[in-house]
Amino acid sequence: MVASVSTAAAAYATAGKMAAGAGGAASTGSSGTGFTDLLQQAAGDAMGALKTGETQSLAAVTGKADLTAVTEAVNNAEIALQAVLAVRDKVISAYQDISKLAI
Amino acid sequence: MDLETSLQLSFAGMSAQGTRLRVIAENLANAESTAQTPGGEPYRRQVVTFKSVLDKSMGATTVKVAHIEPGGGKFDRVYDPGNPGADAEGYVLKPNVNPLMELMDMHEAQRSYQANLDTITAAKTMISRTIDLLRS
Repeated sequence: MVASVSTAAAAYATAGKMAAGAGGAASTGSSGTGFTDLLQQAAGDAMGALKTGETQSLAAVTGKADLTAVTEAVNNAEIALQAVLAVRDKVISAYQDISKLAI
Repeated sequence: MDLETSLQLSFAGMSAQGTRLRVIAENLANAESTAQTPGGEPYRRQVVTFKSVLDKSMGATTVKVAHIEPGGGKFDRVYDPGNPGADAEGYVLKPNVNPLMELMDMHEAQRSYQANLDTITAAKTMISRTIDLLRS
């Protein structure tokens, strides 16, 4: 699950670079990189939440963690992942809408 | 985000109530624990107190267990000469645990835990409904 998020972040980064390159050599938009940064940060946050969730779950398996702490961490990870997935879906649908534009 | 902060606060409340229930269980389990030596003290009931703590990273006031301290109340004296904890006159001191009081405390802890759980459910529903809005 963590791996998929990091690959998604890498995909966003390359997509952002491609978009910036396609935008024209003169105005390699700072807005494009800004958006990529935003996505990367969001994915990074989600990844951190997921890692915490996994660490807590592992601690719970070995009987070292509090049940509420595990629930809290897993809950946070779930919310972060949901948010990142929703943003990703939106970005992909926007990309598809643009690719369907008549030239 | 405020909704996530409320989640964290409710989890802190739950864990505080969990500690309270643990202490109540200790009290009830030891309701008959007398002294092992003549004239010694029996089990003394424990009481949990909570305190509010400002969590700067959250920017909110969270709850923590302040102290687990011995509670007041007199020990009962029961005549039981065969007990190893009996004094010269044959009386044994019984713990100052009142099961009725502990049960009331337990219900209060349960209700408080439930209230925190409901807050979590509400906050979680609000968050996922918002994400749904982003998705649709």
